[in-house]
Amino acid sequence: MKITDLILKIYTVLFLAGIYLPIAILIFFSFNESRSKIVFTGFTLENYYSLLSNYAVWDSFYNSIWTAIVVTVVSVFLGIMISYGVTRYEFKGKNMLDILMLIPIIIPEIVEALTLLVFLIILGIRLSPYTVIIGHIAFDISFAYIVIKARMAGYDPQFEEAARTLGANEIQTFTKVTLPILMPGIVSAALIAFLQSYDDFIKTFFTRPPGFTTLPVYIWNMASRRGFALDLNALATFIVVISIVFAYVRLKVERW
Amino acid sequence: MSHRQEPWYITILDRIRSSRRIKVSLIVFLPFIYLIIFFFAPFIIALMYSLGMFKQVVYEFVFQPQISLEYYYRLFQYPGVLVAIQRSFYYAILTTVGTFLLSYPVAYYLGVKLPDKYQEMVVLVLFTPFWVNFLLRIYGMRFIFHELGFLNMILTTLGIVNEPIKILGTDTAVILVMIYTYVILMILPIYGVLEKLDKELLEAAATLGASPVKTFLKVTLPLSLPGILAGSLLVFIPAVGEFVIPELVGGANTVTLGTVIYNFFLRVKGTMGWGLGSAAGLIYIGLILVLSYLYIKLVGGEIRLG
Repeated sequence: MKITDLILKIYTVLFLAGIYLPIAILIFFSFNESRSKIVFTGFTLENYYSLLSNYAVWDSFYNSIWTAIVVTVVSVFLGIMISYGVTRYEFKGKNMLDILMLIPIIIPEIVEALTLLVFLIILGIRLSPYTVIIGHIAFDISFAYIVIKARMAGYDPQFEEAARTLGANEIQTFTKVTLPILMPGIVSAALIAFLQSYDDFIKTFFTRPPGFTTLPVYIWNMASRRGFALDLNALATFIVVISIVFAYVRLKVERW
Repeated sequence: MSHRQEPWYITILDRIRSSRRIKVSLIVFLPFIYLIIFFFAPFIIALMYSLGMFKQVVYEFVFQPQISLEYYYRLFQYPGVLVAIQRSFYYAILTTVGTFLLSYPVAYYLGVKLPDKYQEMVVLVLFTPFWVNFLLRIYGMRFIFHELGFLNMILTTLGIVNEPIKILGTDTAVILVMIYTYVILMILPIYGVLEKLDKELLEAAATLGASPVKTFLKVTLPLSLPGILAGSLLVFIPAVGEFVIPELVGGANTVTLGTVIYNFFLRVKGTMGWGLGSAAGLIYIGLILVLSYLYIKLVGGEIRLG
């Protein structure tokens, strides 16, 4: 019994090391002299300098951020509305609605992306950054809905009833009581929605206009060429740092 | 005192305030319309398109009331499509089995053996790498699988192989990277089930004289079945349509259903490309519906995400 526990423990540690390996290797090679690429020949910061002066990277980073902010604001707003309605009112078709809200999460993104593209083509809507935003909101509403609904279902509606008894109208109750209680759920939903959009590749790739590049699309453009581009490794270091900050912030929010 | 006529907007606001039905419609169905327009309608449109119900006239598409299976027929006639679909299934099955075998011991250790005070930290350690963009992680795998890369370095140093083996561009590379990418989707639901498992049940089995192996086979494994099924579904469904991994670490012989869809839409284009691509996408959707239905029949519940 003790020996199987030990084996399990060692296996788990090796497993965790294994999932970090590709990331560690990316960062390691970001310090490599760029001529040899795959064989480590010497330490240099050259790749970081070339990353800093790479206009295309920062342009696509900027696009990723602004589109993700718009997507997050809209989808969290709509997510709050639907989850409030579902947890506070009884109406026909509520269970059906709850199932339909899950579908955008279950459907593989490539199918979502292709159907939206066909839809845009048939209606003759020209691709623009806004078609990308429209596509992202469609899956982010569901993520926002699920997270906020969980928070909303988890607290006692008596607070709201008390506020109503004390004379607050429904809108006052919502803004002064419901919203503050929901805040951790809303922040958590916003983080998830932001990350889903900021990190999205497939839907962006199908619905973007030519020349509009987000960070994942930029990474794809570089990585789908067969060779190795060590700027991309330097970029990876930068993205890993951001991701760790994200993971940490999310943990803090969940404990809130 | 004469009755004062209320302005029209106050009347409307009063109606809204007093009617539950209007309120629910505004709060729930107004935002839901967004999903109807930009999520569900596109599926219907793509289905109609794949059935030849839209005809291109100069720059516009015109609806024509007919149903034709031409795109579906042509899709299967298209060179390489059938093989690609078979290959997608082969990859997806191996990925599902591989992620299960790799992750079950980890999920078991975390859920059953690890003391509660370490849980949060270990789960954080487990998750963090999956917050890094998946394209970058796949690109990182290229450094490992390259002929001069990390894996070959270890294999040749240990004397397992004499010459570096070619992994990039092969099925092996695609499957290994798919397992790496999808493993978290398998761990999550299994861990979720095992963590909530009543540990007293295991003690009871041991007290009653069951050996650890028997306890595992008769108690733990059957109880984790819902998690395993949910994980398999979460891995299998997207794995069938994977196109990023075959493109980034595969080669000419790793074309999958996802690659086919991607090629029709972004390389062939035009009415034919879109039609064939939609047909391929809808076959994929049909498959998902069947699988989800079987899952609900088998487990009878919603997918648990931990």
